[in-house]
Amino acid sequence: MENNNNLYEITVYSENQVGLLSTIAGIFTRRSLNIESLRVFPSEIKGIHKFSIKTRAAEEQVIQVVKQVEKKVDVIKAFYYVEEERHDKELDAVEALINERMNKQNK
Amino acid sequence: MKGADILLQALIDEGVDTIFGYPGGQIMPVYDRLYDYTDRLRHILVRHEQGAIHAAQGFARAKAFPGVVMVTSGPGATNVVTGIADAMIDSTPVVVIAGQVGTNLLGTDAFQETDVLGLTGPITKWNYQIRRPEDITWAVARAFYIANTGRPGPVVLDLTKDAQVGMAEYKHEKCSFIRSYNPYPEVSDETIMKAARMINDSEKPFLVFGQGVVLGGAEAELKALIEKADIPSGSTLLGLSAIPSDTMQYVGMVGMHGNIAANVMTQQCDLLIAVGMRFDDRVTGKTSEYAKQAKIIHIDIDEAEIDKIVKTDLGIIGDAKNVLPRILEHVEPKKHGEWRTVAKMCNAVENNRVIRPEVHPEEGYLNMGEVVNKVSELSGHSAIIVTDVGQNQMIGARYSRFTRSRSMITSGGLGTMGFGLPAAIGAKIGAPDRTVCLFVGDGGLQMTIQELGTILQEGTGVKIVLLNNNWLGNVRMWQELFYNKRYSFTSMINPDYQQIASAYGIKYRAVRERAELEDAINEMLADDEAFILNAEVKEMGMVFPMVPPGASVDKIMLNDKDWFDYGE
Repeated sequence: MENNNNLYEITVYSENQVGLLSTIAGIFTRRSLNIESLRVFPSEIKGIHKFSIKTRAAEEQVIQVVKQVEKKVDVIKAFYYVEEERHDKELDAVEALINERMNKQNK
Repeated sequence: MKGADILLQALIDEGVDTIFGYPGGQIMPVYDRLYDYTDRLRHILVRHEQGAIHAAQGFARAKAFPGVVMVTSGPGATNVVTGIADAMIDSTPVVVIAGQVGTNLLGTDAFQETDVLGLTGPITKWNYQIRRPEDITWAVARAFYIANTGRPGPVVLDLTKDAQVGMAEYKHEKCSFIRSYNPYPEVSDETIMKAARMINDSEKPFLVFGQGVVLGGAEAELKALIEKADIPSGSTLLGLSAIPSDTMQYVGMVGMHGNIAANVMTQQCDLLIAVGMRFDDRVTGKTSEYAKQAKIIHIDIDEAEIDKIVKTDLGIIGDAKNVLPRILEHVEPKKHGEWRTVAKMCNAVENNRVIRPEVHPEEGYLNMGEVVNKVSELSGHSAIIVTDVGQNQMIGARYSRFTRSRSMITSGGLGTMGFGLPAAIGAKIGAPDRTVCLFVGDGGLQMTIQELGTILQEGTGVKIVLLNNNWLGNVRMWQELFYNKRYSFTSMINPDYQQIASAYGIKYRAVRERAELEDAINEMLADDEAFILNAEVKEMGMVFPMVPPGASVDKIMLNDKDWFDYGE
């Protein structure tokens, strides 16, 4: 099927849990979105895994997918970009979020 | 301590006192230990695993505490899948413990092995396979924390045989923090002020509340807000009973078979305030037309629901219990008398054209609505109403009135036929001091009729009101309205329910005559024992008003010919 949508990259920072990959993939399947490429690897933050998922979709749909991915308990944060956009700030954002929640917890 | 003991002790330490379950090969080590815990854990033996999960759902919704299900691997686990999906879409806290084959057999197609994590991933809030006894406490604590915080939902623990039989030390742990999960989103004062300003500026506000209000325990806060600002308010199907039906500002249920006033006001308001609901298509009708004239405030604890279906002017990600009282503080007391006359006008039409003929017919067979209305009245509008799915559900929702919260238990999102009977059993076990009335059709009752055996064994005093029309009524109704009266496989030849009731030792009465209805219901309600009231209602009964599928919610059928006309 012809798909003229932009190529988006969705990046996901998560705990390393069995079954999470298939659950995240399921979020795409359920919306009939093809995954163009997929990489899962340890992120620069110790103990946290990173997914890079590329898909062609309308931006509205990408936003929904990002929210559904983030809703998973083991997912810390998800971002999306139009292809080639740079995303050097996301690491800082993830670390800041973890610190913020840890601090709140310790209060 | 043995893994099986660790599990049971961990459940007790989480406050669990009731388990709905069914034993089998791969959960036997736990059942063996359970034999010694009967003084602390009540185990309800159901007749089919689907019954266990629906009962746990009913229990959770009546008691405001997670329902616990215990089943074996393979078919035991797959039989609870429907209920897990149901709990997910209706935000019901349930913890399912499923046995699993030993770790050395995982992935080998061993007897009764199935990929439980894979199967339940998309329909659980969280799932986890426990492979070692030392992980049980951690996993159980986490399961309860996740199931019961934020937007509640089902959690599955896939418990391998090694973990059940292995030895480890037990030390109670409580989970109150997961770094990847934030169930308590913070709402800024600025957002609260903005919402209050929008409400203060509105001349025709309308509020729709859903189950989020009940789950957050924010019933009093909601009532205070709508009374202070005099906001006419409607409920979703799952929000029913959050505020008493006689609240002055309450205008009824929204959606396909909702009250005319609630739907019309949705389409005439200048501000729609949606609280703890998710704009299901049965609520919105045609979404592009839905409240398009209005500004929209959407309050929900689940960020993924904001802007999913209906674009908001102000999305508030937060718990109703936290958000509503803060808004309340900043709203001005108001009177919207003139705006509320819209409801009076709509109610007059609905009363004349729909409700009176349904509830007080002059002749002919019993109507479903008159049965429900009488049950509600004779139970003092204080029973827990459980429904199955279909006409019984819509009529049950429309004609029951409520005085207490947590009094409506129904399968909303998934629409699971067969939900009603086991859910009613669970509700009665969760709230033994309350009367539990089930409205169920002849189709849905037979989907899980085996659970009459659970009633027999446990002596659960469920009042089963069978709205018996010998049809799969809701599908038949759609065939009549939208499929040229081609009644394809919807008529039913039913068993003799008297013999069924008698086989299970359950009291029974059939009622067909209007003159006997009140007496029959009084007989049913006279004690706290199970009862089947077989109400032989009109075969071709309909549910009106109706917003046809895909139409704007102010396009309302009053019957099979006439449409609601606002000028009428």
